[in-house]
Amino acid sequence: MTEDQILAEISKAITQIMSDKGLPAPTVTADTELLGGELPIDSLDLAMLVREMEERVGFDPFQDGFIDFRTAGEMAKLYVK
Amino acid sequence: MSGRRHVIVTGGSRGLGAAMIEGLLADGYRVSTCSRSKSAAIDKLSDLGGDDFFWQSAQVGEADQVDAFVKAAGEWAGEDGIYGLVNNAGVARTGILASFPNIESEKLIQINLIGAIQMARACSPYLLKREDGGRIINISSIIGARGYNGMSAYSASKAGMDGLTRALARELGRRQITVNSVSPGYVATEMSSTLTPPQMMQIVNRTPLGRLATEQDVFELVRFLLSDKAASITGQVILVDGGISC
Repeated sequence: MTEDQILAEISKAITQIMSDKGLPAPTVTADTELLGGELPIDSLDLAMLVREMEERVGFDPFQDGFIDFRTAGEMAKLYVK
Repeated sequence: MSGRRHVIVTGGSRGLGAAMIEGLLADGYRVSTCSRSKSAAIDKLSDLGGDDFFWQSAQVGEADQVDAFVKAAGEWAGEDGIYGLVNNAGVARTGILASFPNIESEKLIQINLIGAIQMARACSPYLLKREDGGRIINISSIIGARGYNGMSAYSASKAGMDGLTRALARELGRRQITVNSVSPGYVATEMSSTLTPPQMMQIVNRTPLGRLATEQDVFELVRFLLSDKAASITGQVILVDGGISC
């Protein structure tokens, strides 16, 4: 998958998480900060997002340890092989 | 969706695990379990549970096998997802630490503690998705809190499990997922093979109720903690020990 395709998958996954919480679909761009108030998600939602992306992309970039990321774009880069 | 609650109980091939599964099936839960290999108890549970029972071979402590098992159990349960996890799988090895092989300590911690962490991690996404909260119950041991001669590694693994209980209770509480340790005292299954008759008599004599707790006593607490009635109890280590620790 390309970085743009992965970003689209991140957006879909966040929309799904929001939907499960009864919240409207957010607009997610590469610059959207995942935590910090821009989106109504907390650290547990972020954990869910990471697991959901593993399902969607087929691997877990955090398998060998934590990697810092702040925005959706930075997260997407981690899934580009 | 059948609207039933699905609980994973690890280590269901014998002893307390098999007894708990039998009780949970009777209570109307759907139950999944894993063990290294099939046993007579698994065959019996398959007959008893029919479509409400799922077993797959997996070694708790091996992350890949744990993930594969939980995924398979989640798929088996379909829209029922996973409501509860009972971390019951464990091994007990005894020996004075000075001569206890390091490899045995590592194996024991890997199964008893790392295995419980792996299972909780694998089940968490399913629990977090639910609207009715969820349950994690760690089957610990009084030995985690009190220690016992010749059981250093085992005691450490159970004390670690109790730490896992408290930390996860804080982490998952916001989603109404409760996490508790059920800590049997000197119950038959775990200890009977390691205690001498005089040791056993001494324990019974020191127990306020004058008898050891049974597997059924332990199950009754697990049953309660899984129920909606226990929704406000989390982060606790509850002993079922006839009062010996009081």
